[in-house]
Amino acid sequence: MVIREGKAKKYVSRVILYGLVIIIVIWTLAPFSWLFVSGLFPYKELLSDRTTSWFPKNPTIKNFQAMFDMSSHIGQRFIYALRNSLIVAGSVTVICLIFGTLAAYALARLKFPFKNNIVMSLIAIRMLPTIALVIPFFVIIRTLDYHLIQTNINFNFYNTKINLIILYIAFILGFVIWIMRGFFLTIPHELEEAARIDGCTRLQALWRVILPLSAPGLVATGIFTFLLAWDEFVLALVFTKTTNAITLPVYIVSLGSQYIHAYDQIAASGFIAALPPVILALLFQKFLVKGLMAGSIKG
Amino acid sequence: MKRRVGELSSERLASILLLPSILIVVCVVIGPLVFAFYLSFYAAEPVIGGISTKFVGFSNYLHYFFKDPLFWSAVRVTTYFTVVSLVLELILGIGMALVLNKRFIGRPFVRSIMLLPWALPTVVNARMWEWIYAGSSFGALNGLMKVLHIFPADYDVVWLGFGVPFQNIPLVGKFMEWVGASTALHMIILADTWKVTPLVTLLVLAALQPIPDSYYEAAGIDGANAWSQFWYITFPLLRPVLLVVLVLRTMELFRVFDIIYILMQYSIRVMGVYTFETGMKFLHFGRGSALSFLVGLFILGIALIYVKLLHSEEVY
Repeated sequence: MVIREGKAKKYVSRVILYGLVIIIVIWTLAPFSWLFVSGLFPYKELLSDRTTSWFPKNPTIKNFQAMFDMSSHIGQRFIYALRNSLIVAGSVTVICLIFGTLAAYALARLKFPFKNNIVMSLIAIRMLPTIALVIPFFVIIRTLDYHLIQTNINFNFYNTKINLIILYIAFILGFVIWIMRGFFLTIPHELEEAARIDGCTRLQALWRVILPLSAPGLVATGIFTFLLAWDEFVLALVFTKTTNAITLPVYIVSLGSQYIHAYDQIAASGFIAALPPVILALLFQKFLVKGLMAGSIKG
Repeated sequence: MKRRVGELSSERLASILLLPSILIVVCVVIGPLVFAFYLSFYAAEPVIGGISTKFVGFSNYLHYFFKDPLFWSAVRVTTYFTVVSLVLELILGIGMALVLNKRFIGRPFVRSIMLLPWALPTVVNARMWEWIYAGSSFGALNGLMKVLHIFPADYDVVWLGFGVPFQNIPLVGKFMEWVGASTALHMIILADTWKVTPLVTLLVLAALQPIPDSYYEAAGIDGANAWSQFWYITFPLLRPVLLVVLVLRTMELFRVFDIIYILMQYSIRVMGVYTFETGMKFLHFGRGSALSFLVGLFILGIALIYVKLLHSEEVY
């Protein structure tokens, strides 16, 4: 009797477990799947009653194709925004990783005066909202551009990718230094000392021993940086205006206003904009989870 | 470790490695911040080619503390947003992690899809939920409610509306009114929670995995039920990760801007939105800067409280 009761209990708990798992899966996947399915509706069906028909009767990939049609205004704006986002997020990632890694190594391993002050100020800067930087940036860039026009130099900062890259580095670099420092602290001192006994200089030890060991950390940090830059909205909203520099977030927000929403474009461009970060995250998920832990806890 | 002949000293090497980063941070972070701090003591408005400034001392700060009712309503609604989101994220995050820590078929798949909401750009998330919450036959949530027969066919809820829920409950209704907790705010909390909770789940999950089964088996033999197993074994071991989540999430939530601005423009004035409106819409650079430093100060205060908690726990 006791054994059978135990079996029944186990069976019930399995059913409950799978029920919960299914709820979690639906909760996690349903909204985004719905956005994708909505992108498959022809525009006319999109505007009709959709509660009775969750799936399109005549599915089409026209909405997605339209985003890449260079001959239309919509396609042009989207492709430029996509290109700008890739250039900006890519450059920011590379620059932040190079400078941030060097600085993080110094902060994790070398002895020098004011080290703790630097680490503390990095944390303090992270407390401030981005908006605290937007106002002074805006005033400075507005004034700079005014003087640049006066001097007849054919360059200004407003509405350029360079400007956006500089501003993004400003608010992401500290974060990269912080996470990479955390990673370097997890690597045992002895490995480096062994390399140095074998005749390596400090930089050689960094290059040959420390960096290969922290490759997972570099990958994770690189993806975080890319995601932060890809995701950024406030600065792009304030400092970009035309296809010369607008990024995908600004483009997607511009698709809807108080009065009208271009739902076909929202679905298609939203899905495409989500692809790079989602694919990166899924490809490198092992590194990411480890990186999330090391980055947030060690340090 | 002694250095070899010709090798740089530790200080020299450190200064070379740090130089590019320090230059960048000083020029594009600390410089502008000092400038913003300076501006916060001035009445600064745009003029052609620059700004006009007039020294006003502390009056920008004092204005918010003593004269501006909008400031305190922003503090209230931001605090409400932060606290409710945090509680939801922690409860759902821990709950989901406990489920995903069990053994079941397809576990790697379920774990990897946890990354999807986290990786989704905030802007896409905002637009997606705005559409889900849309009215009439167009929005998925109203549609779902009708399919499940929770709502009659001709009934729609304005999910992103300004109505305040729980009005018929005496004290709660008054409180909701006072903090400005409209239906729209709650729906935005839900949308944001959907995106962030999987991250909490993954962090908690990573902390759960090293806990050996033998702890629970021993507790089970001693007659501890599921709840006391969670409370006396799991929860204490999760404390470090929970404190980290708490600090990081509070910081992020308190300065929320994107999702609220995209969905509601200036009609839900959390601190981030109010600062943006002051500085970037009305172009009051001085007041806006003062406000952004007040937000920073609030966050610093909360962080200090958490650090205190963290340290007092390390004593044990």
